[in-house]
Amino acid sequence: MVNRRLASLAGVAAILFAACSGSSTPAPSAAASAAAPSAAASAAAPSAEASAAASAAPSAAAGGCVVGVSWNNYQEERWAKWDEPAIKAALTAGGATYISNDAKSSAETQANNVDNLISQGAKVIIILAQDGTAIKPSVTKALAAGVPVIAYDRLIEDPKALYLTFDNKLVGKLQAQAVLAAKASGNFAIIKGNKADANADFLRSGMVEAGIPEVGKTDPAGKIVIVGETYTDNWDPANAQKEMEQILTANNNKIDAVISENDGMAGGVIAALKAVGLAGTVPVSGQDGDLPALNRVALGTQTVDVWKDARLLGKAAGEAAVQLCASPDITKVAGTAPFTSPGNNTLTSQLLTPQAITKDNLNVVLDAKWIDKATLCQGVKAGSVPVCN
Amino acid sequence: MTEATGTVPESTREQAPRSLRGLLQALNLDTRLLGMVGALAVISIGFQILSGLTGPKHDIFSGTFLTAVNLYNLAQQSVSVGIMATGMVLIIVSRNIDLSIGSILGLTGYTMAMVQVIWIPKSLGLGFDQPYTWIIALAIGIALGAAIGAFQGFLIAYGKVPAFIVTLGGLLVWRGLVFEEQQGQTISPLDKTFQLLGGSPTASLGDVASWILGILACAGIVYSLIATRRKRRKYGFPVRPTWALGVLMALGCLAILGFVWIMNSYAWPPGLATQYAREHGITEPPGGLQIATGIAYPVIILIGVTLVMTYITTRRRFGRYVFAIGGNPDAAELGGINVRRTIMLTFVLIGILAAISGAVQSARLQAAVTSLGTQAELDVIAAAVIGGTSFSGGIGTIPGAVLGAVVMQSLRSGMLLLRVDSPIQDIVVGVVLVSAIAFDTYVRGRSAR
Repeated sequence: MVNRRLASLAGVAAILFAACSGSSTPAPSAAASAAAPSAAASAAAPSAEASAAASAAPSAAAGGCVVGVSWNNYQEERWAKWDEPAIKAALTAGGATYISNDAKSSAETQANNVDNLISQGAKVIIILAQDGTAIKPSVTKALAAGVPVIAYDRLIEDPKALYLTFDNKLVGKLQAQAVLAAKASGNFAIIKGNKADANADFLRSGMVEAGIPEVGKTDPAGKIVIVGETYTDNWDPANAQKEMEQILTANNNKIDAVISENDGMAGGVIAALKAVGLAGTVPVSGQDGDLPALNRVALGTQTVDVWKDARLLGKAAGEAAVQLCASPDITKVAGTAPFTSPGNNTLTSQLLTPQAITKDNLNVVLDAKWIDKATLCQGVKAGSVPVCN
Repeated sequence: MTEATGTVPESTREQAPRSLRGLLQALNLDTRLLGMVGALAVISIGFQILSGLTGPKHDIFSGTFLTAVNLYNLAQQSVSVGIMATGMVLIIVSRNIDLSIGSILGLTGYTMAMVQVIWIPKSLGLGFDQPYTWIIALAIGIALGAAIGAFQGFLIAYGKVPAFIVTLGGLLVWRGLVFEEQQGQTISPLDKTFQLLGGSPTASLGDVASWILGILACAGIVYSLIATRRKRRKYGFPVRPTWALGVLMALGCLAILGFVWIMNSYAWPPGLATQYAREHGITEPPGGLQIATGIAYPVIILIGVTLVMTYITTRRRFGRYVFAIGGNPDAAELGGINVRRTIMLTFVLIGILAAISGAVQSARLQAAVTSLGTQAELDVIAAAVIGGTSFSGGIGTIPGAVLGAVVMQSLRSGMLLLRVDSPIQDIVVGVVLVSAIAFDTYVRGRSAR
């Protein structure tokens, strides 16, 4: 009975050591290798080692620069595939350690996750916010604990957090410009993303800069009529498809252009347009550089895909985190500039420039090895797109 | 559908009805089902008027809810939830619950997409759009759904772990596996034949076949009513009066043929017709090519599933057992029913149905995304419950659940037509769900007294 309990203690100690194996201090890893075999051999020794381990663990974590990332929904295509490897690579290059967790689209979970990262010894925290307002108390807590925060890709209204993103207003502007270049007037539908995500409104304000009327306003020239405009819960493509079907029904299929804020929803929109034979004739926008969306650009059913090379963003975040580890002043991070937020706060931010991908410059994504030619050109008629020949 | 529980009292036999209640009694229809049809009518007319008032003409006649195109879309949008709701009835009737179906839908839908976009064309090097791709993908998806259902059912029935816990675990596990399969990538475009399962004007029956199907269904109703009557008479059970039988036949046929007529009166949208004409070298007549759409394939799948599930629940021993278990599990066990096997089978069944829904959903979106089927379990449970399935076990009908799904979807797409934002939609659906059940419980309590 006593033996079993001690053995299990030793097991726990071994697991603890394994978890800390990423640290650079050599002492605990030596102890871990000693603890595991001795569990079976002697009953008394491991318990002593276990208590030694408990005291050694925090000091081990304090050694290097540990960077914690709180993902809001790791299950979306891009984070695991592009952002995370880029962040990891930049951190490894800077000699830092990567830890992370996933909030699974829940703002509450994310608040707990941020606390968790701090208690795991993170020196800098990168947050991809589920809800930019709900996360604020957690950010305050982290800053109070002396942990600098990087708001990754999505806005957090806190002047003390470094806001790192692509210029989202510009994304919306590029989307609108490309759609307007294909169709300068008529009935427009606007499919926006999640209401709680500030990006949905940034994109929308960028469209205004390109000449799309503001929400509820009419175009002074009377050329553009917004016949449908809606937010979409969780940017869900299936919801976007239903929204588009109902907009088509309400307007007797008289839709001339659709500005969809991302590629997933554009997929739903185009499925709805296809069902009424309008896919390919009605311009549709998107963003994110999803592979099926780029294929649609080649096929001609999607007009533009505003591409934000997530690898650049991940790299910038990793590099900024390494700099913050050395000196926690966010204004000292290379490439930052003041940015006035929708909440009228002056934030310190680093804005990267997105790129509009249309049928004419598909070679950009091919050259960057973002997509392979077979995937890009699947089903494309020979001779219709130069890069596919 | 017309063979509801209860028998016709002797007094109403072969007598003309004196009141509405007498009329309903003579027709021997499920009053709850009638109530739902009534609710659906109220919802439809309400949205029709509101959509007219908020539309460009601002009058009550120009509404868009009761147009052929909207009803055509509505039918398609209800399919996925409707299919799963038929299985959920059996689960709830036998006093269990399944919270994992949304995730099973996601996993099977995603796997089917992988089969047709990656495994067959790329891993095996057989190329895209092979004639057999869709059926292999579908078979693998259904087998996977059945296997997951069997696994969960086994834990619940033989392992005695509460269904709530097992399927709550499943909700997380299967959704997690979706992501593990391809790191959350969107998989698209799907196989051309497989996409037909999702329905669209090009993936519909067309007018002639729709009419034939409608007439066959009508003949089926007439035949089954007569056959049941003959059987009841043979065993000396009371039967409906002859006039009531006639009324029922007429109503049934009218409903079916009316549905076919609406689906047929939705003509192909002009853009699609022009495209078709161009591809087939037809010169378009002045008013444009008029092609009747007819019933969409997924709607036929839903009708087929409803018929099969109704047959299983009302005509097979398995179905009777499920209801017996729900009514009183101990008595069922003592009566010699293999309770554990029956319970496990209900979960296998809903796994299969979730896979079919997964096929329809992904085909409709023409892509598999990781969010496929998120929160579908809530809509499905709501549809089953609105359709008269009781959480205390032993009560529920398949057609009721399908109607429940249509009611839910009518509310949602009606509100989309009115441009109601998503949070308000959720509030309305939640309020309707609870009030429908409260009303139902009240009425049932009164009639029991």
